[in-house]
Amino acid sequence: MPLSPSSPEPLVRLKDVHLSFGRNNVLKGVDLTVKRGEAVSIIGPSGSGKSTILRCINGLLAPDRGQILVGDTAVHALRSESARIALRKRIGFVFQQYNLFPHLSVLENIVIAPVRILGVDRATAEREAGELLARVRLADKAGAYPGELSGGQQQRVAIARALAMHPELVLFDEVTSALDPETVGEVLAVIRDLVHDGLTCILVTHEMRFAEEVSHEVVFTEGGEIVEHGAPAALFHAPRNARTHAFINAVSH
Amino acid sequence: MTDWLPSLVSGAKHLGLNYGFVLNPFERTAWLSGIGVTLELVALALAASLLAGVGMAVLLTSNRPWLQHPVRVLIELTRNTPVLVQLYCAFFVVNMLLNRVLDGAQHNPLTAFAWVIIVLSIHYGAFHAEALRAGIESVPAGMRESAASLGFSRRQLLWHVELPLAIRFALPSLINNLINLVKTTALGSAIAVGEVTYTSLMIWTQHDNVLELMLFIFLVYGLLTLLVARLGRRLEHRLRMPGYGH
Amino acid sequence: MAIEQTLAAKPQPETQAQPVAVAFAPNALLLAGLLLLWGLAGTCLGDTLSVLWQWTPLLAQGLKMNILISLLAIGGGTVLGVLIGALELSGSVWVAAPARAFVALFRNAPLLVLIFFTTYVFPFEIHIGSVYLPFPDWIKATVGLALPAAAQVAEIVRGAIGSIPSAQWEASASLAFSRAQTLRWIILPQCFRRVLPPWMNLYAMITMSTTLASLVGVTDLLESAKNASNTVNRTDFTILVYLAVLTLFFFYCYPIALLTRRLEHKFAIH
Ligand SMILES: Nc1ncnc2c1ncn2[C@@H]1O[C@H](COP(=O)(O)OP(=O)(O)OP(=O)(O)O)[C@@H](O)[C@H]1O
Ligand SMILES: [Mg+2]
Repeated sequence: MPLSPSSPEPLVRLKDVHLSFGRNNVLKGVDLTVKRGEAVSIIGPSGSGKSTILRCINGLLAPDRGQILVGDTAVHALRSESARIALRKRIGFVFQQYNLFPHLSVLENIVIAPVRILGVDRATAEREAGELLARVRLADKAGAYPGELSGGQQQRVAIARALAMHPELVLFDEVTSALDPETVGEVLAVIRDLVHDGLTCILVTHEMRFAEEVSHEVVFTEGGEIVEHGAPAALFHAPRNARTHAFINAVSH
Repeated sequence: MTDWLPSLVSGAKHLGLNYGFVLNPFERTAWLSGIGVTLELVALALAASLLAGVGMAVLLTSNRPWLQHPVRVLIELTRNTPVLVQLYCAFFVVNMLLNRVLDGAQHNPLTAFAWVIIVLSIHYGAFHAEALRAGIESVPAGMRESAASLGFSRRQLLWHVELPLAIRFALPSLINNLINLVKTTALGSAIAVGEVTYTSLMIWTQHDNVLELMLFIFLVYGLLTLLVARLGRRLEHRLRMPGYGH
Repeated sequence: MAIEQTLAAKPQPETQAQPVAVAFAPNALLLAGLLLLWGLAGTCLGDTLSVLWQWTPLLAQGLKMNILISLLAIGGGTVLGVLIGALELSGSVWVAAPARAFVALFRNAPLLVLIFFTTYVFPFEIHIGSVYLPFPDWIKATVGLALPAAAQVAEIVRGAIGSIPSAQWEASASLAFSRAQTLRWIILPQCFRRVLPPWMNLYAMITMSTTLASLVGVTDLLESAKNASNTVNRTDFTILVYLAVLTLFFFYCYPIALLTRRLEHKFAIH
């Protein structure tokens, strides 16, 4: 576990967040704090609301009740499209299914948002995109199209695309779940580097070993609630809650 | 003209084909101008129909009922009634009313030629719009979410993601529509627009050489549809997304 | 991977997502009504309607002609088209090539030009031995529509048979179906499902194209309307009669389109 400076300021705060889809109560009072420069992993069974938490944080979903703060922005109170866009410029999101734009080359996928949305000039954006591609070890793929890349390569492009916006926070939603086992490692290696460089991340993941290794804190969700949270070593090896214990046993055997 | 023309014409005469009009400079020019008009009709209606199609598709997928419904009605009306009747309604009804409002035909800027373009662009625009709408709707939800997460507005999403993908999905249908549009320009002759069918009609009523002109007309439209199909295929190739489909 | 599949998959049939379209028919009617009222504003609608009523028998006669031509053209076109489609799929190049040429010619020529062709090139009567059979213009126009219809049917049939995976034959064989039984119970029903919606579309298209016959002197609905408009020579009546033609065709063709969409939707699911 990387060393963290003593109590940095929180970047993300969720307080008593509730959300339901019709009669399906998906989030039932979620509290979560993520400090600047730290990585928090969310683990939990399928359908427990992990993705929903991430979508609430960047304003893709609006909670029914509760507060969500990202820096000074009260996400739960954002009403206009433009305010949500301003928020999303600060938050990167990497999806399980990569969701690259298939009609654009790798380079175009990375520069389109800085150029069109931030108004960065093309030359600068392309130079930065080149650096980012080197960082995710795909410097030779700038001209390729998403359909020509492996899943692991596409996912690394998706990470570079998110980083091109210089986000304060990046949300990773099960980014290795759709990958072949051989390519999982290359994506995790990239994320590990980012965490070490001090990027604030929230990772939804099923890679327990990885979560234990890189996270400052791990959160266990079940049935729309945060059942337990704490330092990775404690949560994985000495869970206090019986449900956490059962889940960790089930996935590690 | 040079002398190969008369010898060709007399050669055709031996085959029983009367192409004498080709040697008459007046009739030849008239007929060739018909081809020119057909080309103009095709080029203008093609471009206008695509613009109309994109416009209607954007309105159709706008999530605003007061925009969607009128466009939906227009599309259903134009797709389910004969183009010729639409042309008559435009030319004999709307144009006549317009003449009246503008105090006489001489103040009305819209000619029969313009009406053919208007009617064809709305008609085929409706077909394009349906194809594009289906394309926009088949853009996966995850693609929209990822664009939103990058800070794309609704408009930017439409122009940079949805439409580019929709055009690629819809391209085979769009090309098919455009080929039909090329053929439908022949209807211009019904309201005396001097396109190639009309000028041919004028000539065969004079010379009773229907079959001979038919061969020419088939050739003209055959080449035009071939051209559109070729250009379409080239565009398909240019726009193809490596790694997806073929 | 879900996204790749969605993107690589063929776009859904154009019309699939439109079962709601039924709800728009009343709107369309309303719109037509409004247009009509706008056009007739200032004149007495009742009077115009009564003139239209006088012309109704002639217009109905015209409409009957459109429907007759459309039915004969789709009937003839279907028989000929299935035959040509089968020839196209036959192993021999000598048989397939002329069939392909037929399809290419009649799919790429404008319908109006084909109708001019059959009208002006065909004789006005046919001699069979000593019998002289009249060959009226409306039958020539029908032939002019049946030929391109046949080309379209051939395409539809060829596409449908080609789209049945060969695994279906193998699967049926392994269930101890004979070749004939496979054809009857497995292949043809699937072909039928694939053929029916485009065939219905074709019928609607042919029906709308029957108005082209008016341009070679066949007294169909449009020609009757034009005659009526010229005879009565009143603005309000002209508006009304053309809108009536538009509306009649809409109410003949729109239900066909709706049914086609329903079938496409149903067949896409099963
Ligand atoms: N857009 C939606 N509409 C309706 N229900 C939804 C929607 N999105 C999620 N849900 C429901 O919310 C619940 C939580 O979903 P969520 O995607 O957050 O789970 P998850 O923990 O990410 O699961 P997984 O590990 O499978 O990704 C599920 O029951 C799901 O069916
Ligand atoms: Mg999830």
